[in-house]
Parts: sequence; C-alpha cells; structure tokens
Amino acid sequence: MIQQPIVAGFGAVRIDRHFGMSSIDLAVESLKDLESRHTDIDLAPDTVIVSSMHPEIMQEQSGIAGVMADYLDLKGVRVYRVESGEASGLAAVNMAYTLIRSGLSRSTLVIGVEKVTEYPTSMITRAYSLIEDSDYKGFYGVTPAAEAALLAKIYMKRYGYSYQDLYKWPYLMHSTATTNPYAQLKFRLKDTSYEKSPIISDPLRLVDMFPYGDGAACIVVSDGSAVDKRDAVIAIAGVGASSDIVDPFVRSDPVFFDAVKNSFNQAVAMADVNRDQIKYIELHDSFTPYAYIAMESMGLVERGASVRSLSDDLTINGTYVNLSGGLKARGHPWGATGVYQVGEVFRALRGEEQYRSIDPIYAGLAQNMNGPGAQSYTTLLRRVD
Amino acid sequence: MFKDSVPKYWRLRDVVYRLKYIYCRDCGKSSFPPRSKCPYCGSSNIDHRYSKGNGVVEEYTVMYQSEARYQDYQPIVFGVIRLDEGFRIVAPIVDVDPNSVEEGMRVEATLRRVRVDGSTGLIQYGIKFRPSRR
Repeated sequence: MIQQPIVAGFGAVRIDRHFGMSSIDLAVESLKDLESRHTDIDLAPDTVIVSSMHPEIMQEQSGIAGVMADYLDLKGVRVYRVESGEASGLAAVNMAYTLIRSGLSRSTLVIGVEKVTEYPTSMITRAYSLIEDSDYKGFYGVTPAAEAALLAKIYMKRYGYSYQDLYKWPYLMHSTATTNPYAQLKFRLKDTSYEKSPIISDPLRLVDMFPYGDGAACIVVSDGSAVDKRDAVIAIAGVGASSDIVDPFVRSDPVFFDAVKNSFNQAVAMADVNRDQIKYIELHDSFTPYAYIAMESMGLVERGASVRSLSDDLTINGTYVNLSGGLKARGHPWGATGVYQVGEVFRALRGEEQYRSIDPIYAGLAQNMNGPGAQSYTTLLRRVD
Repeated sequence: MFKDSVPKYWRLRDVVYRLKYIYCRDCGKSSFPPRSKCPYCGSSNIDHRYSKGNGVVEEYTVMYQSEARYQDYQPIVFGVIRLDEGFRIVAPIVDVDPNSVEEGMRVEATLRRVRVDGSTGLIQYGIKFRPSRR
C-alpha cells in the first residue's frame, strides 16, 4: 500500500554564531526543540537522514550521519547523508518522502545541520565558493556573490530596475524576521541602510547576502503512525527536483531558472491541490536578485514583474512569501536550510506564531536551490482536514 | 583546508592556459569549459578547439570580498566575456581602472598570476583579460 507521508513534527535552533556548539550539539538541541514542541510524539525513527553541505571541511567529519545517530542514541537505524550543495536540506526531505511513500520506512528523522562559522570569513567564503564549478570558475576566485552581482546587473538592465528598487527585498525580510524565534538577524533596516552597507560585489552589498550562521533543524516524516494529533495534521503532498547547466552564463537565459520552474511544476502536479490553494511559499533568497528570479521562475508573476508586484505585506498576486525572513534574515546554514524552510511552511499551515496574522492556509511549499538555479527542489505541504 | 593540488592543475593546463573549448558540428554552437557533449543539443559530434583569446565584455562586476588566496588582487573586476569564437567565460579583467570598464569593451587574453596558496603552496597562473591593444 502506498503511504501518505506526514510531517509529524519540527524542531530547530535559532541560527547564530554558535561558537560553543558542534554540529552534533546543534542537532541535539534541535531534537530537544522538536520534543518540547510535540510532547505526545513517539519518536522512534527507523531511518536517519542527515543533510549537510560541508561537514568534511567545516567539522573535519566524514560519515556524519552515522556519528550523529550514535550521539543521538539511535542504534540499529538506517543512516544516510544527503548532499546537494545549498539545496541539501530539501533534497533530504524529498528522500524521506520517497522512503515513506515506498513503505521502506515508517518514520524517518531528517536532520539538517551546518557549522558555518568555524573559520574566519575568507575561509568560509572559500568553502561556500565550492558550489561553483570549482575547476573553472572556482579557479579564478569567482564567488557566489560575484556571480549574483553579474546576474543582478543583467536583471536590472533588462527590466529597468535600479538598485534601490531591488533593496525592497532585504528591507522586508529584516522587518518580518524580527518576530521569528529561529531567525539570526532580528533587527530592522532603514530606508537608507544600504548606503552604509559595504559593497561585496558591485552592485550587491552586505545587506543583499545571507548572513553566515550555524544551525540545525529537524523534522520527522512518518506514515502517520507517529504524529502530533493535537493540531492540524500536515502531509507532504508533492515533491519536485530538477537540474540545469550549472553555469548560468552557458544557459540560454541566465536570469530565469528552469530548474526552479520544473521542480515547482512537478510538485504541484503531484499534489492533489489547485495552484490557487498554495498561499504560502518559502523561497531560496541567498542573494537579493535570486528572490525575484525565483518568484518569476515559479510563475507567481510574469518575467521582470516581481519587484514591482511584491507588496509590503509580503504577498505577490495573493501568495505570501518568506514571512520567516527567508535565507536573508532568518538565515542560511547551507545544508540545513531546506529543513528550516519545511519547518516554516509546517508552522504556517498550523497557524503558529509568526503566521497568526494571515488567514488559515491549506497548502504551501518550500523551494531550495544550489547556486543560481543549478539544481532546485520543491516540497509541497497541505493540511489533512 | 587542503592545499591546491599539483596534478589537478597540470590536467587542466589546456583549459586554464589555452582556453580550450568545444564546437558542436551539429548545432554550430561553442561552449566552455570543454565537455563530452554539447550542452545545447546533446550531440557528441564535437571538435575540441583553442580560442584566439579575443572577445567583448558583456557585463562586469567589481568584487571587494574574496577568499584568502585572491586577496592580494582585490578589488577584482570580473567580466562576462563573449569570445569571438562564440562562447562565454567569467574571468578577471586587468590593466584597467575598475571605473573605466564598460560593456562592449574589446578585451584580449593575457597570462597572469591568478592566486597564491599561502607561503608553501602553489603559485597559479592562468588566462585573464585586458583591454585590447589592437
């Protein structure tokens, strides 16, 4: 019998520079948060999937899934690590979906974890830059920020926007993150804060990039045998995954992400929901231009229209986006991010704090990608009413 | 983190020193870096060729935050350069005031130091671009 995967619970630590905690310490804390949020869950996973982008470099640890299961006192379980760069988190959630749906697992614990701040900033930048094709673009020291800057200039020029127009995104992300308990940056920006923000790669400034921070988030995906029944039951109704040519300048259009479009369409087609029932989206905004391009690639708005169509209440054509603060302000601990995103959609569908001001939502999704749309994953959640 | 690998950059010598690219005999498009199939039509009917190194700047950015091996060269101007053979490459532009770089500027390849891997690692050279002198 084909099983309907349920998100049975979510827990996380606030993203921050956790100098006193290892990746294992962070995972333990995220699991404690899950247990405190869902006290009646019988947490008995038969499978553990760890998503992490750089445990070898940042923690000098291979085989991290096995080590983590050991420290979490989980013995005799299947352990896997899933790695797909910055999109490792949603890739892992999609694998958990597959295991439950196939009947191989009844309860899978997905832990997204990343220690980002173990080294000085220039070393972190070197590690992060490995998401580029490292033989060629990496050779010249082209950072993800420089690549995003080139794409921002192409986007601005093609659609007639100024830098000040684009600044709307980080401004709104900071505003909404102030009330998110898991957010790293909890301060507001002023209309003119960008003026004092250092340029990383012209025209992008520090305010246009996610902050470096450590984090861990976990969810339990089950076949329904373990689920917090005190509140709305949330199912994973559809998943999508798609790849593209890694270098955006080799693609036919560098400022439209086909992988985002394709993974989004796959997830929506798989789920038994209407497109207009999807009222909440957590999207991947590692750099300001990527938020706008992602919204257009998902078809929320026509090409080039997202900047002017985004409202101050973070709706775009009736769909809420990134009320969490997104990667920009909630934070982006690389391989953990997709799990945070699913957690935020889960919280939105349950109408938890941070999401109480909006009307009840039936369906929502998370979109997580590696680089500028080199690979993209989508996970669509809906309430089981 | 590990030091730069000697065998890796010896293997890549045709690409980083000579701009080796592929030309697809079926769809007529060129692409870089070289690969076994054309990224546009999937054909294996490809030629490996070497660029003459002349092209035009399509877009550029001035980067102020690099990782440790490149910090001697900051700020670095990166250009999206379309070579006359038809493919694009993202590479540094040198010998020019960053404020003087502009779209449509003609550039040519030049062999330059690219990065230094600390006091005991490799000193790497490769192709950068400078304003065309022709």
